[in-house]
Amino acid sequence: MKISLDWIKEFADLTAPDQEVADRLTMAGLEIEGMEQTHGDTLLEVNVTPNRPDCLSILGVAREAAAAFGLPVRLPDTAIREKLPPSDVAVEILDPGLCGRYTGRLISGVRITATPDWIKRRLESCGIRSLDNNVVDITNYVLLEMGHPLHAFDADRLAGKRIRVGRAGKEMTVRTLDAAERKVPAESLLIWDGGSPVAIAGIMGGEGSSVTSGTVNVFLESAYFEPFSIRRTSKALGLRSESSYRFERGTDIEFLVTALDRASLLIRQTGGGTIHEMVDAYPEKYEPPPVEVTFERINTLLGATLGSGEIVKILGRIGLRIEEKGDRIIVTPPAFRRDIRIAEDVIEEVARLYGYGNIPVRIPRAPLSDGVPNRRLEAVGRAGEAMRKSGFTEVINYSFMNTADLDMLGISANDERRKHIEVKNPLRQEDGHMRTTLLPALVNNLTYNASRGMRDVRLYEIAKVYIDESGRLPREALRLGGILFRENVPALWKEEGDPFFIVKGGLEALCEEFRLKDVSYVPSSEPFLHPGKAADIHVQDRRIGYLGEMGPAVTETLAIKTGKPQIIVFELDLDALFSLMPERCTYEPFPRYPAVDRDIAVIMDESIPAAELIRHMKEHDPSIIETVELFDVYKGKHVPEGKKSLAFRIVYRSRERTLTDTEVEGIHAGLVASVLKKTGGALRAS
Amino acid sequence: MDDLLSLKQAFIEESASVSDLSGLQGLRVKYTGKKGLLTARLKALSAVSPEQRPAYGKVLNEIKEYIEGFLKDREAQLKEGEKDRRLLAERIDITIPGRHTPFGRRHPINIILAEITDIFVSMGFGIADGPEVELDHYNFESLNIPKDHPARDMQDTYYVSDEVVLRTHTSPVQVRVMEQRKPPLRIIAPGKVYRCDADVSHTPMFHQVEGLMVDTAVTFSDLKGILELFVHSFFGKGTPVRFRPSYFPFTEPSAEVDIGCIFCGGKGCRVCKTTGWLEVLGCGMVNPRVFEMAGYDPGAYTGFAFGMGVERMTMLRYSINDIRLFYEDDLRFLGQF
Ligand SMILES: [Zn+2]
Repeated sequence: MKISLDWIKEFADLTAPDQEVADRLTMAGLEIEGMEQTHGDTLLEVNVTPNRPDCLSILGVAREAAAAFGLPVRLPDTAIREKLPPSDVAVEILDPGLCGRYTGRLISGVRITATPDWIKRRLESCGIRSLDNNVVDITNYVLLEMGHPLHAFDADRLAGKRIRVGRAGKEMTVRTLDAAERKVPAESLLIWDGGSPVAIAGIMGGEGSSVTSGTVNVFLESAYFEPFSIRRTSKALGLRSESSYRFERGTDIEFLVTALDRASLLIRQTGGGTIHEMVDAYPEKYEPPPVEVTFERINTLLGATLGSGEIVKILGRIGLRIEEKGDRIIVTPPAFRRDIRIAEDVIEEVARLYGYGNIPVRIPRAPLSDGVPNRRLEAVGRAGEAMRKSGFTEVINYSFMNTADLDMLGISANDERRKHIEVKNPLRQEDGHMRTTLLPALVNNLTYNASRGMRDVRLYEIAKVYIDESGRLPREALRLGGILFRENVPALWKEEGDPFFIVKGGLEALCEEFRLKDVSYVPSSEPFLHPGKAADIHVQDRRIGYLGEMGPAVTETLAIKTGKPQIIVFELDLDALFSLMPERCTYEPFPRYPAVDRDIAVIMDESIPAAELIRHMKEHDPSIIETVELFDVYKGKHVPEGKKSLAFRIVYRSRERTLTDTEVEGIHAGLVASVLKKTGGALRAS
Repeated sequence: MDDLLSLKQAFIEESASVSDLSGLQGLRVKYTGKKGLLTARLKALSAVSPEQRPAYGKVLNEIKEYIEGFLKDREAQLKEGEKDRRLLAERIDITIPGRHTPFGRRHPINIILAEITDIFVSMGFGIADGPEVELDHYNFESLNIPKDHPARDMQDTYYVSDEVVLRTHTSPVQVRVMEQRKPPLRIIAPGKVYRCDADVSHTPMFHQVEGLMVDTAVTFSDLKGILELFVHSFFGKGTPVRFRPSYFPFTEPSAEVDIGCIFCGGKGCRVCKTTGWLEVLGCGMVNPRVFEMAGYDPGAYTGFAFGMGVERMTMLRYSINDIRLFYEDDLRFLGQF
């Protein structure tokens, strides 16, 4: 809110420099976000928090400034002392639950004229456009000055000279003074004349009853509407006005008479006419509930040592009525401070006026914490570190996804990734769902970077996905996803082989980091992967994710300027992975006896998986075969088409004794025979 | 006798030109081999007359020792030289870059998040977690923000249904923790939050760290102590800190924490909008209504809560001027941290 400092000074004798006024206001809780000099005036940009609607006016800010400097507030004289003719407009509140008070004055014989310059200037300095209509501009002027919204009707257009305040009752259309048709919900509060609605209460007047240049008799409304009701209607209509903004935060049910009189006098001053008696429908006088608080509570909550006299003095500065009762005070706030409802509200008033800066700084004494580290968070950290060591850089993507991406990936209808939840009000339609997979965003990250000339892109993300399992809230599952794209550019050190194995190596390192046992890679049927380069990752027979090359159906749609981009992707269920890691590791004595190595190279059918053969060899004699390691894969010269040569190193070792050469020869010969039998292959001549 | 001296002379002359091990071997054979010149003289010693033999033998022996000594020393010398030559030939260009897979980088948000977390953990705070897709009850109602409360305007909410939202702050974790545990409590809750807002200074998703301390006599003074300690730990000792009254429905009294602008030293600049101060945290004493809703006795306990935006802290730490950079995930950006 922009506000004129000159205008504020009409209500309080502020003599301090502008900057100091701004600083004091800020430190008392009314943040001045900016200052601007215009025409010898200073405009303050005030950030008013939602709990302080009383500060949405010149007077309100003046009251705060006066309190901050310990000055009195001076109100304009709004008393109308002469005997007035009676009002011939009758007012009736049909729905006191939504309208606590409705007052009005008839001003007859008014001239609608141009607005005096001083009013125009002030309106415009505070960002309100003058309509050059004295009556309308004055209602806005008083709104700015006193914070209370007023509405002016053309009294001759009120059928039956009656005002009734009641709900719409059913959904209906009201034509507002901006010439728009508004569909008003049944629960909304309307102002009615003898026959039909003439205004949407607190939000906007109706077209048929508004003041025009031909208006002679004005009926001026000053009312209190329940904030929640105004807020609901304003939201339903998508219509906010300076009035609704204040009504929905709360206005002053007592002070509204002052605003009414202030405006009436200004109208008479500019347009002549006769002010009539006020009509005042006020079914139940508002009594602010008193709040009780002990001096001790104030000091113990703040950690301060304020004396009772000081506390009372501080609270007196903001117009609270205070009754001292021994160790406590009973505080009655004015009607414009409905935000003061509990003891802590009073304590805040004490604190802010005393100055937060004056409250001592103390490091609390507290019991030791339980010392239990957050294992899960620690594991997340280790997973990320393992990926970074393998060259993957971390990304963070929005948690949203476009379901069209699932279609592109060929995810089937019964896949878990289709159990997504929808966001009702996304900023962009494409972001309408919470993601169930990290993959689409990673693909986007890749195309973004590749199209900016990056030739080696390795990215990972650790984030939640949201699976709808028909509970009140979705299941939030932690995932680790990643992507690799590498173009063969001239490089000093070559990374050979299929990039699949770069990623697989990274995941193996990850599994080693977590000491996972029984990790296996089996062919995967993920629809978006290259069928010949796709693996599901199993740990102890539980599937924890996949890894593979993105299939052509997807890569062909990407804007990457490479003939056949090889993109390797993976996604792991981290919750599952963490649940499978051993609780602790235990020292095992290492073998004391020497090992004997033997190599074997076999030419066999290309389709035989190496892992299967390794398992077969280990099972041949688990008591003395310590490790079987694949150290060469060869296809080409000297190996027939459709065949491959695999070479293994087998380490034999006994835990009980030193093996003899003859013993090992015997076992190894048996192993070789078994391998040849299983593979139907032949030994490769060395 | 003269022939012995000329033998020695000849050896000295010949040995001077020996430059490698094979030359040395030739020399060795020529003089000390089975048919060598020296060997021949030694064999012929018996033929020397007995009266001359002692003197002749003595000289011959000296020459023998000289030759053998020379051959031995020279051999060692030549072998050393040969090793040097081999090492020289094996020389590599040690300025060629080494071989490694360059490590990936951590996202700056997570670097700063970890730093913030570590500071509070070192002060004895535990880490709590809560759902990102959250019940309206926890995100708003239990934090003293009922349905028609204007404070809901402070946060543009993503709705999944009337009762389910994407959490707009990490504060709901406070209530969830209080429902499950009794005081004393000291926790922080880091995580993602969502608001449907996107412009130069807003992204629809961002990160917050929430903090909560509850015990029988926690004061505003303690809140100031903990947060000042945090600010000094994160931004450096001597960073000016001020607490300014503000409003949050779930705390009372509420405050914003400002630090002296780290860019202009408080003189006023574009970043701090000429105020000399930068807002970094929101905080306050837990509103008794929040305690009530979480099942705590507001008469028995007091506490404070605070929250900060991780993007803001990261931007301040690294002088990043556009929040959107965090979510473009450009490697030229990510590679810098
Ligand atoms: Zn600055």
